[in-house]
Amino acid sequence: MGGKIKNILIVAVMSVIIFGISLLCILKEQGDYSKSERRYLAHFPKADASTILNGSFMSDYEAYAADQFPCREMFRGTKAFSELYLFRKLSSNNLFLSDGHISKIDYPLNEKSLYNASNKLMSIYENYLEGTDVNIYLSIIPDKSCFLAGDNEIISIDFEELKEKFCAKVSFAEYIDIYDLLSKDDYYKTDTHWKQECILPIAERLADKMGAELYNEFEMHEISHPFYGVYYGQLGLYHEPDTIKYLENDILRQSIVTSYSTGKPQKSVLYNMEKADGKDPYEMFLSGSEPLITIENPNAETEKELVIFRDSFGSSIAPLMISGYSKITLVDLRYMHSSIICEFIDFNEQDILFLYSTMILNNSFSFK
Amino acid sequence: MIFSSITFLYYFLPCVIVLYFAVPKKLKNTALLISSLVFYAWGEPKYVMLMALSIICGYVLGLLIERFQGRKLSKAFMIMSVAISLSFLLFFKYCNFFIENFNAVMGISLPLLEITLPVGISFYTFQIISYTVDVYRKNAKAQRNIIDLAAYISLFPQLIAGPIVRYTDIEMQLRVRTHTIEKISSGIRLFVIGLSKKILLANSLGELCEYYQNSQEQSILFCWIYAIAYSLQVYFDFSGYSDMAIGLGRILGFDFCANFNYPFISKSISEFWRRWHISLGSWFRDYVYIPLGGNRTSKIKHLRNIFIVWLLTGLWHGAAWNFIIWGLYFAVFLVAEKFLFKNFLKNHEIISRVYVTLTVLISFVIFSFTNIKDAGECILGMFGFNGNPIITPEHNYYIRSFGFTLLIAVIGAIPILPNIYKALSKTKFGSKALAVFELFEPIALAILLLLCTSYLVDGSFNPFLYFRF
Repeated sequence: MGGKIKNILIVAVMSVIIFGISLLCILKEQGDYSKSERRYLAHFPKADASTILNGSFMSDYEAYAADQFPCREMFRGTKAFSELYLFRKLSSNNLFLSDGHISKIDYPLNEKSLYNASNKLMSIYENYLEGTDVNIYLSIIPDKSCFLAGDNEIISIDFEELKEKFCAKVSFAEYIDIYDLLSKDDYYKTDTHWKQECILPIAERLADKMGAELYNEFEMHEISHPFYGVYYGQLGLYHEPDTIKYLENDILRQSIVTSYSTGKPQKSVLYNMEKADGKDPYEMFLSGSEPLITIENPNAETEKELVIFRDSFGSSIAPLMISGYSKITLVDLRYMHSSIICEFIDFNEQDILFLYSTMILNNSFSFK
Repeated sequence: MIFSSITFLYYFLPCVIVLYFAVPKKLKNTALLISSLVFYAWGEPKYVMLMALSIICGYVLGLLIERFQGRKLSKAFMIMSVAISLSFLLFFKYCNFFIENFNAVMGISLPLLEITLPVGISFYTFQIISYTVDVYRKNAKAQRNIIDLAAYISLFPQLIAGPIVRYTDIEMQLRVRTHTIEKISSGIRLFVIGLSKKILLANSLGELCEYYQNSQEQSILFCWIYAIAYSLQVYFDFSGYSDMAIGLGRILGFDFCANFNYPFISKSISEFWRRWHISLGSWFRDYVYIPLGGNRTSKIKHLRNIFIVWLLTGLWHGAAWNFIIWGLYFAVFLVAEKFLFKNFLKNHEIISRVYVTLTVLISFVIFSFTNIKDAGECILGMFGFNGNPIITPEHNYYIRSFGFTLLIAVIGAIPILPNIYKALSKTKFGSKALAVFELFEPIALAILLLLCTSYLVDGSFNPFLYFRF
């Protein structure tokens, strides 16, 4: 090819790309929400003298231009592909692929966060539990990277180190070890959470240690549409989706679920099918982010009650434990200030379980 | 606004190109000036007036210098122009540095000024100084058209990160410049290569450096990797930006001089500085070193001149002690080369390369830490004086994860591919193979541009080191 034709081709091809994409940027309708990233997209910023002079219009416009870019998902996927396969990085956006799983690198161990979390639990103990006849337990849920990282020489938190450090600080609670009951297959491949259908042994171990007996016969149901977990969107690369399955029996069907998200009791459900269709299908378990929710078992053969201080992992395990209790109360300290717990719970003779995942303990500054 | 942004690539650039090529020849500089002011105002709306004031001062004083040519007044106006330009630079860039040090020495606490550094001030100040000094020296005629002069000083391709374009170099091009497909095509090629250097290599290496800086552990190998990665990050960041600037200049019909020429293959530090940030080195040579007497003076004054130039070079890079030490560090090696082992380096190629690599790596460690103690720890760590392990599992992970990027960066920093190209083109088979290979150049450039776009869309790590200069 002559040099001239090559030069014409370079100018033509690049003009098509730059002017074509530019035109698409202008013509494209504004999107509101990125389903894969689970976040609202930036909109065209307010333009007036003050926003232009203080520069906020410009910085907001940069965010808008990136968020509303045409074929954004495709470009995000291209970047992840380039990082993982062209530049052979072991992770992209701090996510790595291993054994068909997408997992997040949460490293290093954040001592300040552990200290913050243990302080929060200690304040709950001192304010509400000390001197009462409640039984206090602690269990830590390992992140799935604990099972995936080692084989691939990816860095991950040392679970034993975290457990030892945290237990030393939360010495008022009896630790229940569940690590040996878990493996990578017990977690969704595209999400951080565990699968409800795989955690019956965990529920049994916890109940057993707390002196409760569970009824463990369930029917398994399946959500018909695919589940693209939180890591799927963050990575941006195509990956086989998961399927959400959930367990049910008569005890669960007859249980009474009450939410206190508005401060007043409101009827709720164990499995929220609207949420299963929503932006984060895992929120179908106890309707997702709830500051305080109770599950009552009218058929209970015991008066025992359980209070679980939990994160989102607790939403899928709590239903499996209701057969052993007359009432389970779930408290999420990320959405509820610890100072108002006493308005809703009278601590007396219950089992108290602090059930947190390593990721929350290592990033605990959202605790209120 | 920076070149490596969606806003620049897909909003600003298409508008500028349409405007520039749509207007008649006599309005092209006006179109460039308007575009440059929008470009600058996008990042620094409040400092547009400062730049405008600097331009007006340069314009008026340039005319006065020429008007009183041959008289004492001409020199006075030239000094006034340099003083005004430098006073802006001193105030915005160095005032707080001086206050901090004054406070430290006197044990007082004068409040710091709440000012931010206007982007590109170091570059456009030097351009204005070169213009008025060149008019005084009769190397250039004073520009009578303020639009042309303003277009030159504020020219957006080189406004915020250079290269420092001398007025004498583009005086003619401001009046007449050619636009050919060959020139536009080579501009596009250079721009895309520069963009790729910046986004695909510099940003990725920057991530690795950030991991080092945030790491709670230290290891010998990671200190070395940090020194290499940071040196390469600065190189690809800055040379990438220079390539983009030169490429954009070509698209708009200008010919800017090259700013980098594979500095890491140098066999002496003086050669390194002839290949690194060439426009800055030559500026200091012509406007500071030679006026001070250069090397045509006594040995003591020659030494003084070298140290002054490198003290200023260090200060130009930033208002902090590490930059001053960095500049003086090079002065020491340049003096040693000049007076002690110039011939030795010439005759020992391997030793000279090891010496340059080591000296440069250590220099960039000094450059990277505003806290001297951190730089010292890293340098000691490189040689195992901190009692650190050779490697930790964490560092092993980072090195493996970024290993391929580092390898590409090292290959890209030395002229191995151009040399292979040159060697192949000399053979019959090679030249045919290259002709076929060149068929794919438009596609390769398109892929690179789209790949860079994908990194920008994902909002990944995108720092810009030379913004602070």
